[in-house]
Amino acid sequence: MSRPNWQSIRAVVARDLTAVRRSKAIMLPMTLVPVMLLVVLPAGTAFAARTQDASGVSDFLNRFPAGLTDPIVGLPQHEQLIVLVNGFLIAPLFLIVPLMVSAVLAADAFAGEKERRTLESMLHLPISDRDLFIGKTLVAFLPAVAVSWLGFVCFAVVSNTLAWPVMHRLFVPTALWAIMIFWVAPGVAALGLGVMVRVSARANTTQEANQLGAAVILPLIFLAVGQATGLLLVDVPVALAIGAVVWLVALLLIGRGIQRFTRDQLATRI
Amino acid sequence: MRSQRGKRPVRNPLLSARPQNGKSLIPLDVVPEPLVETSHRGAGDEVVIRTNGLSRAFRKGLALDSLSIDVPAGRVLALLGPNGAGKTTTVRLLNGVLEPTAGQSRVLGLDPVAEGDELRRRTGVLTEQAGLDDRLTARENLLFTARVRGMRGQPASSRVDHLIESFGMGEYAYERTQGFSTGQRKRLALARSLIHDPEVLFLDEPTSGLDPTATREVIDLIAGLATRHGRAVVLCTHFLGEAGRLADEMAVLHRGRLLAFGPPAALAARLWPGLEAELDLGGPASDTTVEALRSVDGVLAAHNAPMGARVTVTGREVLPRLVARLVAHEIPVYASTPLPKTLEDVYFEIAGRIPRDGPGLGGIELGNGTEPAP
Repeated sequence: MSRPNWQSIRAVVARDLTAVRRSKAIMLPMTLVPVMLLVVLPAGTAFAARTQDASGVSDFLNRFPAGLTDPIVGLPQHEQLIVLVNGFLIAPLFLIVPLMVSAVLAADAFAGEKERRTLESMLHLPISDRDLFIGKTLVAFLPAVAVSWLGFVCFAVVSNTLAWPVMHRLFVPTALWAIMIFWVAPGVAALGLGVMVRVSARANTTQEANQLGAAVILPLIFLAVGQATGLLLVDVPVALAIGAVVWLVALLLIGRGIQRFTRDQLATRI
Repeated sequence: MRSQRGKRPVRNPLLSARPQNGKSLIPLDVVPEPLVETSHRGAGDEVVIRTNGLSRAFRKGLALDSLSIDVPAGRVLALLGPNGAGKTTTVRLLNGVLEPTAGQSRVLGLDPVAEGDELRRRTGVLTEQAGLDDRLTARENLLFTARVRGMRGQPASSRVDHLIESFGMGEYAYERTQGFSTGQRKRLALARSLIHDPEVLFLDEPTSGLDPTATREVIDLIAGLATRHGRAVVLCTHFLGEAGRLADEMAVLHRGRLLAFGPPAALAARLWPGLEAELDLGGPASDTTVEALRSVDGVLAAHNAPMGARVTVTGREVLPRLVARLVAHEIPVYASTPLPKTLEDVYFEIAGRIPRDGPGLGGIELGNGTEPAP
C-alpha cells in the first residue's frame, strides 16, 4: 500500500479550514456552544458559590451511594458547589464540545461538497480515495481538538479566577481532568467523526447528514459521553483504559471507513 | 475492439434503413452494431484513449452500454447525445472516477481503475458545473488545485496568476467566487483544468454561459491545444455548431448506446452517398436543364431549386464537367457550391432515426440556426 500523499492531504485540510473560517453557519455554533458550556456556566457557578448559601449541596450529595461522592463531601461546605459543578458535572458537557464540533464539520465533509456542487471537480483530482478520506477526517478532527483545548484553557482560567475568593487555590485541572482533555476528548472527537464522515458520504445535503447523525447515531454516543462524570471519580489507570477503549472504537470506525470509502460510491450519488 | 484500425467499417442495418413516418424500421434496442468509421486512421496514430465494451450500470439501469472507441493524440472527440445519453458517465469512467461494471479502458496507456491517481495527474477536467468553492477567492480555488497536483510555492503562485490573467480574470483574483457570473466561473474552471498542462482534456460544456467573444476564444484555445500541442480533447456538448468547428471525430450516444463513431465527413459519406452541390443559375432550372444535368456521368440526382439546381454527384471532380455541360448549352452558371454534410447534419440524421416514443432530444441545442433534418 502506498504512503499517504501529505501534500495533497494538507491542501484539502488547508482549503476546508479556510472555507470553514469564512462560514458563519459553521463558526457560530462552534463558538457559541463552547462559550456557553465552558465559560458562562462555570462563571455562573462561581458567582453563585460566592453569593448563595450552599448548605443544600450537602443534602444533595448525601443522596448518592456512599463512596461515590467522597472527593466532594470531604470538602468545606462553601467549596462543595464549585467542585461539584465545575469539577464534576461540567465534565460530560465538556466532552460534548469535541463531539459537536467534529460532527458539525464531518457532516459537511462530503455532503457539503455535494451541496455546493464542488464534489465532482474534487473527485477528478489526483488524490487517492484514502488520502481524500484522511483529509476530510482531519478537517473535522483538528478544529474539534483545538476548540476543546482552547475551551478548556478558558474554562480553567474562568473557574480558578472567579472561584479564587472561595477556594483560595487552583482546583482544575486535576490529573483526571488532564486525561479527559488530552486523551479522552480527542478520542471522542475521533469517534464522532468516524461515524459522521461516513454518514456525510452517503447523504446528499449537510442537513440530511446532520439529521441522520443526530437522529440515529449521535444520541448513542451522547449517552456514553453522559457517563463521563464517573470518569472523574475513577483512578487514573481506569480513566486511561476508558480513553483507550474510546480510541479503539474510533480508530476501528475510521479504519473501516477508509477501507470502504471509494470515489465510485460518491460519484454514484452526485 | 469494434473500431480497430484497418478493419472494414461495420455496416449498421438501422442506419442504412430510411425511417418511415418518423419511426425507425428496427427498434433501437435490437440494433446489433453502431455505425463506426475508422478506416481513415493511419498506422502511426498514437491512440491515447481506448475503450473496449465499456459499460456501467446503476440501480436504474445501464448508463453506458458496451462503448468501444479509440481516440488518437491531437484529436478532438465530440461526445454528443441528449441528456442522459451517457456522456458524463463516459468521462467519469475514462478518468477513473467511476468503475466500469463491464469492459475495459486505457487512457494514456493507464488503467483508470487501477492507476486512477497517476492518470488524473495527466488529465484535466472541466465539469459541467464549474465546481468552484464560493467561500474561496478565485486565486485560492486555483491554488488548491495546483497544490493537490503537486505544485507548490512560487511556481504554483506564478502559474495560477498567469492563468488568471490569461483568462481575463485578473481584477477578480482576490474576490470570492460567490458573486461570479456563469461566464466568469466557467473561465476560471477552464483555467483550473489547464493548470498542470494536461495531456488529455475532458471538457463538459466548455462554452455554456460564455459571451460570443469568450466562446470564440475558448474554441480557438481548444483547437490550438489539439492541433499545436497534440493534446487529445474529449468534448461533451449540446452546441453542435461548436462541436462542428472543433471535432475531428464524433461519437453519438443515446441511452448509453453508441449509435455512431468516426469523423463527421466519413460518417456523412456512409449516410449519404455522393456529394450535394448547388448550382446558381440565376433562377429555377428548367426541366430540360435538369434532364441535361442528370445525363452527365457521375450525377446521382438532380432537381431544380429556387436559384438554379441542386445536384448529388459522386465527387467534387464531377462539378467542372457539370458546369462545362451547362455552358455548352449556353446556360449561365453564376456559382457552383459543394454542400458537404456537417456534423450537425450527421447528428440529426442519426438522432432522427431514434424512435419518437423514446426519450426526446430535449437537451439538443441548435447551432448557427440550423434546423434539424426531417
